[in-house]
Amino acid sequence: MPPLSLIPAKMLTQRTAPYLFLVPVLLFGLVFFALPLAASLYLSFTSWNSLVSPRWIGLANYEHLFTRDPLFLKTLLNTLVFTVGVVGIGVPASLLLAGVFSRSRYQALWRSIYSLPMVTNVVAVGFIWWFVLADPWGVLNRLLALIGIAGPAWLNDPSTAMIAVVMVFVWMHLGQNMLLFSAGLGAIDESLHEAARIDGASETRIFWSITLPLLRPTILFVLITSVITAISYFALILVLTEGGPVNSTNVTALYIYGMAFTDLRLGRASAAAYVLLVVIFLVSLLQLRVLRRGGVEAY
Amino acid sequence: MRMPSHAAGTARAVAAKSKVTDDAGGTAALPQRGRKWAVWTFKYGILGLGAVIMILPFADMLIGALRTPAERLARPPVYWPAVPQWHNFVRAFTDLPMVAWLTNSVIVTGAITVVQLATSALAGFALAKYRFRGRDLILRFVLVAQIFPFFLFIIPMFFILRYWPFAGGNDWLGQGGTGLLDSYFALILPFAVSWYGVFLMRQFMMTVPDELLDAARIDGASEFGLFWRIALPLVRPGMVTLGLLVWIYHWNEVIWTMTVTRAAPELQTVTVGIQLLRSEFFDERNQSLQQAALAVSVLPVIVLFLCLQRFYVRGLSMGSLKG
Repeated sequence: MPPLSLIPAKMLTQRTAPYLFLVPVLLFGLVFFALPLAASLYLSFTSWNSLVSPRWIGLANYEHLFTRDPLFLKTLLNTLVFTVGVVGIGVPASLLLAGVFSRSRYQALWRSIYSLPMVTNVVAVGFIWWFVLADPWGVLNRLLALIGIAGPAWLNDPSTAMIAVVMVFVWMHLGQNMLLFSAGLGAIDESLHEAARIDGASETRIFWSITLPLLRPTILFVLITSVITAISYFALILVLTEGGPVNSTNVTALYIYGMAFTDLRLGRASAAAYVLLVVIFLVSLLQLRVLRRGGVEAY
Repeated sequence: MRMPSHAAGTARAVAAKSKVTDDAGGTAALPQRGRKWAVWTFKYGILGLGAVIMILPFADMLIGALRTPAERLARPPVYWPAVPQWHNFVRAFTDLPMVAWLTNSVIVTGAITVVQLATSALAGFALAKYRFRGRDLILRFVLVAQIFPFFLFIIPMFFILRYWPFAGGNDWLGQGGTGLLDSYFALILPFAVSWYGVFLMRQFMMTVPDELLDAARIDGASEFGLFWRIALPLVRPGMVTLGLLVWIYHWNEVIWTMTVTRAAPELQTVTVGIQLLRSEFFDERNQSLQQAALAVSVLPVIVLFLCLQRFYVRGLSMGSLKG
């Protein structure tokens, strides 16, 4: 028998086995979870460019970020706009799609089509959309021209770049959220709807009073994961705009990445990463608080 | 986030489809029939419009990949290629290091998938089928750890690999060499465990009946034998689900790979490869070739997904309904 037969059978009893089975995971947790978190917390109080030893500077990094780095504050604002945009558009849209999807035929076909973006790598997504959006002869502006609209230079215009990035991000995650919602809808007992219908409730009323409350666990999950992803995911923006033009799409996670690996300000970048982590925690807690009311005990 | 222990309901929930509408009988009064038509149009109108938006960018890429440079350079550019240039796909392999990129992608993604399946299944089995001190603590940690976003780990993990003792010319203090950075380990090791994978496999392992394990114990099976011969075969669908999720995720991963392979181009995977073509993307003469390269990077995952999508959907919903 393979791997673990190297360990003498006597050592592997019903008492010790779970610990031995967990050894790889615990080791990993130590080296690639606890150690990195501790190391970057320490680094956030230092000045370090990776060439000479870190120098302890206390809270100076945090102070700098909030008082002397207007770009950091701008990226926080951009992150807020981006997150509100993708969640505000993406979540209702995927809920609507899930509603019609779960009552339609040919579900395998629809599922395949809507899943395409979520299994496509982000570099390809970025460039595919770059071709659609970028030049005056991109396919989107050609289509808009057909109905008489002169489309903007989506990615090169600071006033439209954020809209374009939000659009592409929603496109990329729509299918995933739609599938999550349709699984949630499928778990709702149809007899509840029937009973309400017999009692004469309108479809709108049924949706607001029965479907939506019962869907709350799924809504909570989709909202929290969407917000966390929107705040922390910067690969798409890196590929599409690199944060430009003139920082109009520069979000904090992307800014941190550049600060670390282009500018080699590793201490300050670590501090900024911790700030963003705290933001993510607070926002997640707030969502749990608000949506938990009314007895979603599962969470 | 606390979670209840029963996992079995989820799969059924996914399989169950609401059986409303569409079979209401044909003798409805005229206004009702009109209403039904309106609902039908609305339903498939939305789904169809969404589907077009999903497919259009991919179609644009494929059409672009078939143009000649002259067609792209014309003003305005020719949209539909007169003669489809299929050899652009061949050139993606001959003019670009596509084979090396794909090989690296397969090595890295394959290794991560195998290692994660092993660590997740073992840990999941321990957490689901044994009672021991610290179990609830570990379980809670596994759930909380999933919330920590990856960007937090990029900087420290990079330097942990850089200062890895006794690797890549390093001494025992991690000084003097490049550590693990110039090797496949740098791309694989940080993903040897995924907390989500541990959690998912634990859910699947919960479905293994205790009686079966106890019976095998009485028959003299070793603890590892219980895992290998009884639990693992029973959770094979779960392994396929997790394997598929991991494969797709890591085939598509780009930020970490890009960070690590900047100094080691021989380790670049296909996603990093096409990202590095960035500067050339803006030269219109090359765009058809680039679009062909994009298609090549996307296709293996799409094919794999379409073959195994029922497993993927199950993994998704399992994380949500019970997460």
